[in-house]
Amino acid sequence: MMIKRLLGIIPVVFGVLLLTFLLVHLVPGDPVEVMLGESATTADRAQLRSDLGLDQPLTIQFLTYLKHIAHGDMGRSIHTQSDISAMLADRIPQTAKLALLSLAIAIAVALPLGILAALKSNQWQDHLATLSSLTLSAMPHFWLGPLLMLVFALWLGWLPVSGMESNASIILPALTLGFGLAAILTRMTRASLLEVLNEDFVRTARAKGLNEKNVIVRHALRAALLPIITVLGLQLGGLLAGAVITETVFSWDGVGRLLVESIEKRDYPVTQACVLVIALSYVVINLLTDIIYTQLDPRVKYA
Amino acid sequence: MKLWPLGFILIGGLLLCTWLSACSKTSPSSEIRMALSQGPLNLDPRYASDAASARINRLIYKSLIDFDAQTKPCPDLAAWQVLDDRHYRFTLVSPRATFHNGVALTAKDVAATYQSLLSLKNSPHTAEFANISDIRVVDENTVDFYLTVPDTDFPARLIIGILPAELIQQAHDFAHDPVGNGPLKFASWRGTLKLSRISDGQAFNLQEVKDPTVRVLKLLRGEVDLLQGDLPPELVKYLAKQSDIKVQASIGSNFSYLGFNLQDPVLGKLEVRQAIAHAIDRPTIIREAMVDESRPAGAVLPPEHWAGNPNLPTYEYNPQLARELLQKAGVTLPLRLVYKTSTDAQRVRLATIMQAQMQAAGIALEIRSLDWGTFFDDIKHGQFQLFGLTWVGIKTPDIYRMAFHSQSVPPKGANRGQLKDTKLDQLLEAEHWSAVTQYVHEQLPYVPLWYEGQFVAMRKNLVDYALKPDGNWDGLKTIKKNNVNF
Repeated sequence: MMIKRLLGIIPVVFGVLLLTFLLVHLVPGDPVEVMLGESATTADRAQLRSDLGLDQPLTIQFLTYLKHIAHGDMGRSIHTQSDISAMLADRIPQTAKLALLSLAIAIAVALPLGILAALKSNQWQDHLATLSSLTLSAMPHFWLGPLLMLVFALWLGWLPVSGMESNASIILPALTLGFGLAAILTRMTRASLLEVLNEDFVRTARAKGLNEKNVIVRHALRAALLPIITVLGLQLGGLLAGAVITETVFSWDGVGRLLVESIEKRDYPVTQACVLVIALSYVVINLLTDIIYTQLDPRVKYA
Repeated sequence: MKLWPLGFILIGGLLLCTWLSACSKTSPSSEIRMALSQGPLNLDPRYASDAASARINRLIYKSLIDFDAQTKPCPDLAAWQVLDDRHYRFTLVSPRATFHNGVALTAKDVAATYQSLLSLKNSPHTAEFANISDIRVVDENTVDFYLTVPDTDFPARLIIGILPAELIQQAHDFAHDPVGNGPLKFASWRGTLKLSRISDGQAFNLQEVKDPTVRVLKLLRGEVDLLQGDLPPELVKYLAKQSDIKVQASIGSNFSYLGFNLQDPVLGKLEVRQAIAHAIDRPTIIREAMVDESRPAGAVLPPEHWAGNPNLPTYEYNPQLARELLQKAGVTLPLRLVYKTSTDAQRVRLATIMQAQMQAAGIALEIRSLDWGTFFDDIKHGQFQLFGLTWVGIKTPDIYRMAFHSQSVPPKGANRGQLKDTKLDQLLEAEHWSAVTQYVHEQLPYVPLWYEGQFVAMRKNLVDYALKPDGNWDGLKTIKKNNVNF
């Protein structure tokens, strides 16, 4: 069944490639104009267009693009003439590092807070946790980021403002992303755990005389984790897609920043490659989420 | 249930912060760190067309000529003689420059640089040199350029950095590993660009920091030592009040203007364009919303330029006169117009102020701010009524031909408003620049707005940084960092 699930990825990836190709060719702007500027003659433009294969019908261009992708050749940047595969090879680990640390921060904050909120439902601890998560989810990254910089970098002097020059540089962007994600996870954990705590099997576990810690951790929390895993998978996909705003604000050289820069500069081959990587990361993470789901709940099978 | 994990995390977090506090303190560094709003894209001068690359390439590579205070071309690597109107001879000045790899620069390198540029099919600069018919090396110090048609501005075009012929032949990757002959030498480029000064080994670190607030925070914390331009005026004023920061300002030469689509039936009328010119209170905008040393503009080239015109009258702010001009043009008020600009916060702010000022003249201005790529594409394709842009780093009066000649309509030039005026074409062809500036000022294909002032904000231990009107970073040739840590 897993093979069938894996095969299902192929049409998704093909669809992504097609859509990316069409979108990039539909947006205003012409790579030839970007490369040659405003003084080039019509003949020069036509020559370059022909050299780049841009005078070919779109179907031929798409097939050529697919052929290059199949050979692992993502092309070269219009502006820097750099190999795009090499650019991505530099950027993907940075984005992955930031995404994983953000996720770790989110889990470390959200799980205890969510559990606390559920166990102390409608008490002050619950209200505090809900208020915190609502406040954090209401803060956009472009605002929270500079706020954290102001407090932790400028006032307290604990962390660098931005950049990637020291190991500590990752902390603030990871906190910015992690806090936003923690807000969602806290509410999800609370709601999911509250629902499970009223289930028959939890009552049975208590009736069997198990201590409360075992009831919560081994029985209730395990069942409550299923919807949380789904959300985590989707959110991690988003983080691996490159936290566009956070990476830009913190000068973090990840995929998201590369994508924004390539769109601004109309560097189409780079944009296409970034979108492809992002789509693939979503597909892979979703697949992994599904696998984890089956491990947590053996009743779940893929038809 | 015990909540020990939460406590553990909190204590762990505090310990981590304490450790980070110790290891992330900004230590005094001999390196001079500069924050850029936009990093360079390409360090090969044959390809680079963005402002940041051009400014850095000026420091890494020397070119045949440079410009004096009046923006007249003057010798840099070479002096020139006009042998006839299609034949220029360039002789390398002594002492001859040396490339950073230790090889002496000769006429062969000059010829190889321009020959390779002419052979490129994907360079934005190749077309500018299409007039060169031949390049011949006369001897080690002398190179001759032959032109297809006479061009009195030809020396002023030779601003491409000179590359070593041997490396050109080897197809060296100058874009990422430049080998120049200028005052600054390339060291490395991974995320941040590192350069060192040939004269004293002073190290530089140039890093892109897009967000203006973040650039300011980094300067305040000492993570960078200086930043130049691209800050909203309120942040510049804030920095000027900080005890460990100094701000220097000087006049600029980059020309901001409001462009018209002259094919638009309403904006094609001169009275309407005059009305718009009289509906903008430029002195107030400059005083309230721009950095110090900004000044009203009358023409593309500033008055101190050798082809500038200091005698142009100004279009005074007079909303009543603007209304009368609109009524004279037969326009029904309010006149509804769409103004396109980029998403840059300062550009949008200036547009909003102009929108409010124009209301008094009976003009209802709708602002559309678009991402740069879409905005510029619309402008090049004539899809606009009004737009705001800035000409940066303009050196020669050739800009008038590029921006206003009827044969310079995009994609063959920058006559984006599609002005077609036979009289102006004749003046441009005669290179009668004083008359050109006067006529353009009267006909208003652009409303001249201002030359934005230049500024640099730096930590107080930096000295000897001189600002240039075009905003280049030549100050890095002389800047010094004192040992005193403020």
